[in-house]
Amino acid sequence: MGNANREEFLDFLAQKAKRPRHQLHEHPFQPLNDLPETTLSGKSQDELLEIAQKNSEAVKVDFKKVTTENLGKLLDEYIAAKKIKNLILPTTDKWNEFNLDKWQKEQAATYWQPQAAREVNIKTAQSADGAVGFADYLLAESGTITVATTAGQGRAFNFLPTHYLSIIKKSDIVPRTRQAMDKYDSDIKNGVLSTSNINFITGPSNSGDIEMVLVVGVHGPLDMTYVVVEDL
Amino acid sequence: MGIATSTKPFVERVEEAKKDKFMQASVAKAQDAQWDKREAARKELGNWEQWRDLGEQIRQHVIKYLPDYLEEFADNVEKKGGHVFFAKTDQEATEYIKDLAVKKAVKKVVKSKSMVSTEIDLDKELMKLPGVSVMETDLAEFILQEDNWDEPTHIVFPTLHKNRDQIQKVFEKLGYTGSNEPEKMAKFARKYLREYFLQADMGVTGCNFAIADSGMINLVTNEGNADLTMAIPKTQVVVMGMERIVPSLKEAEVLDNMLSRSAVGQKLTSYCSFSGKRTDDESDGPDDFHVVIIDNGRSNALGTQFESVLQCIRCGSCLNVCPVYRHIGGKGYGSIYPGPIGAVLSPVLDGYEEFGDLPYASSLCAACTETCPVRIPLHELLIEHRHVMMDKLHTDHSLTNTIMKTIGVGTGSPILFKSAMFGANTASKVVSHHDHDSVAGFLYETGRIGKLHKPVPKFARGWTDIRDLPQPAKSHENFRHWFKKHKQEQAAKGGK
Ligand code: SF4
Repeated sequence: MGNANREEFLDFLAQKAKRPRHQLHEHPFQPLNDLPETTLSGKSQDELLEIAQKNSEAVKVDFKKVTTENLGKLLDEYIAAKKIKNLILPTTDKWNEFNLDKWQKEQAATYWQPQAAREVNIKTAQSADGAVGFADYLLAESGTITVATTAGQGRAFNFLPTHYLSIIKKSDIVPRTRQAMDKYDSDIKNGVLSTSNINFITGPSNSGDIEMVLVVGVHGPLDMTYVVVEDL
Repeated sequence: MGIATSTKPFVERVEEAKKDKFMQASVAKAQDAQWDKREAARKELGNWEQWRDLGEQIRQHVIKYLPDYLEEFADNVEKKGGHVFFAKTDQEATEYIKDLAVKKAVKKVVKSKSMVSTEIDLDKELMKLPGVSVMETDLAEFILQEDNWDEPTHIVFPTLHKNRDQIQKVFEKLGYTGSNEPEKMAKFARKYLREYFLQADMGVTGCNFAIADSGMINLVTNEGNADLTMAIPKTQVVVMGMERIVPSLKEAEVLDNMLSRSAVGQKLTSYCSFSGKRTDDESDGPDDFHVVIIDNGRSNALGTQFESVLQCIRCGSCLNVCPVYRHIGGKGYGSIYPGPIGAVLSPVLDGYEEFGDLPYASSLCAACTETCPVRIPLHELLIEHRHVMMDKLHTDHSLTNTIMKTIGVGTGSPILFKSAMFGANTASKVVSHHDHDSVAGFLYETGRIGKLHKPVPKFARGWTDIRDLPQPAKSHENFRHWFKKHKQEQAAKGGK
C-alpha cells in the first residue's frame, strides 16, 4: 500500500524549496558543538550514582542501592510492602548475572514468555500488580532508566503492571541520554541488538491535564522503584 | 473543520475570550508556573544558548534536505516491513487511514495525542465508518472528546481552559460518581481507558520525530498512553507532519532534551520512546505499521521567508510567554495552533483569507522569539506576514508600517515600555494607569494601543477592539526585567 505517490511528493517538495534532491550525501549532518557529549562528562561512577539518586528522587522514584548479596531480600521486602499478589517477571538470562537464579525460581510469578502470543503476554501483564524487570542504562542527569524491548521483556511489560521495579548495575549508570543513545545506535547498526522499541522511562506516569495539578500514575505504573546493584 | 476551531470572526472570539475570567486566570497561572519550571530546567542544563544553536542547526539542516531525509526514512520503514504513505492533503491522509481501517476490519481505535490528527480531522472521519469507534487516550484529549469534541486551546496543555468542576460534569456522563479532585478523576479515566485499550485493534499516534536512518518514530509523553497505543493494537498508524524528521537517534535525543525542558520544564518527560514495527521474536507492538507523512500546506513555507516555521518542535514555549495568548487564550486565535507559532503557521497552512487576522494578534514584543528552543524568529515572521498581506492587497505599502507602528505603540519602543513599567511621564499618553499587583493588571490594563488609521484592512480591525492589549518589553532585557519584577512581587505577597 502507498508507495506510488512517493516520488511525486518528494519532487514537489524539492521544486517548492528550489533545491535539487539527493544532495545530502555531500552534506551530512555535522553538529556545531559537542554539548551532548561533554555535558556532565568526566564524573566517576560514584559521582554518577549520587547524581542519579538525586535526580531520580526528584521525579518521585523510590531509589535503592544494594549489593548482589542482599538483592533477593530487598526484592522480597518490596513485594511485601507493595502487597503484590500477581508478580510478572521477564524471561532473560540476566537472573544469573545478578545472582538471582535461586530467588527467581522461588517466586510464584508469571512470565513474559518469548514464544507466547500477543494476547497471552498482554493479559499476563494486565493481570500483574507488580513487575520486576531489568534496565539497560540509568541516566544520571535525568533519573531515567532505558529499556530496549526483547522477546522476554516486551513493551507492555513496562506499562501495564501497577507497580514497577527496575534493576540496574551501577556500572551501567551513564551521564545522560547521549551515552545511552550512542550505545543503542551502534549496537543496532552492528547487529548486536535487534529491537523494535526503546523506552526511556523517567519516573512514574503522570499528568497535569486537570488544572495543571500533577497527578501521578495515569496510564503507566503508579509508582517506580529503581534498584542499583553497587557491586556490578 | 481542519485547523480552524471557530467560524466566528476574530473580534467576536476576542470579545468572548475577554469575558472568560477562568480561562484568563488559568493561562496566567500556567504561564507563571511554566516560566519557573522552564527557566530552572534550562539553567540547570547550562549553555542554553549553545543548545539552541544546536537545536536550530539540526532543524535547519533537515528542512534543507527534507526530501532526502524523508526518502531515507521511508526506505528504512519499508525495509523493516512497514508502510509509508505520502499525503499531500488532509483528505488523502484520512482516506488512506479509513481504507486501512476497513481493510483490517477495525472496530476500536485508540489514539494518543496528535496535533496533526486534529488538523486532518481524523477522529471524525474514522467515526464515519460503520461500526468503528475512536477513543482519545491522552487525559486532556479524552476530556475534550467526551465534552462533545471541544477544541484544544494549548498545544501542550489542551484543556487549559477547563476547570475541575467542568471536567467532573463531563466524567459524570460516563458514570463517574466521585469528587472533583484531579487525582480521583484521573484514576477513573485510567480504569475507563484501560478497558478500551485492551480491546483496541488499531492505534493512532503522532510523531515527535521520525528517525531517518532507522525508520523508527520518537514520541515524547508523560502519561504512558502513547506507549500502550504502540504496544497493544495489531495495527499502528503514525500521522506525522512532513517536517518532523531527524537524521538519527542522536539528534532525536538532543531535541527530546530541549523539548522536555521547553514544554514542561522537565529534564525528560516520563516516556521518551523510539519505536517501529515489532520484530518477529517480539510478541507485542504492531504487526502492521503505517506512517502517513502529511504535507497539508506545509510546503507553502518551503523556499519562502517562512521556511523556518518548519523548524518548530511544538514545545508550546512561545505560547507560555506570550502576553496576547495570556489575554485571549487559545480560543481567541480560532486555530488548533494558537499563540505565536499558531499566528505564524496558521496562515501558512490555510491562507490569509482564513487566518489573516492572526499575524496582528501580537504585540511584537519578541518574547516568543527569545524563548524558542530552535530559534524561529517568530515576531519577524509575523511582520513578514503583514508585509505579504499588504502586497497581496495591492494597497499602499506604507500602510503596513503605519499599522505596525500604531499597534506597536508602547511595545515598539523600549523607552515607552520602560516608562510604562515604571510610570514615567513619557508614557502618559499611552498608559492609562498602573496595576503592579498582578501580571494581568500590569500587562493588560496599562498601556493602550492608539486608534488605527483608516482605511484599516479587514484583518486588522479586531485590534481596535482590543486596545487594552499587553504592553510587554520588546527586548529580551526588558521582558526579563518585567518578569523578574513580577516574580519579586509575587514572592513579596507570599506567592511563587
Ligand atoms: S515556535 Fe519555537 S517556541 Fe513555539 S512551539 Fe515551536 S519550537 Fe516551541
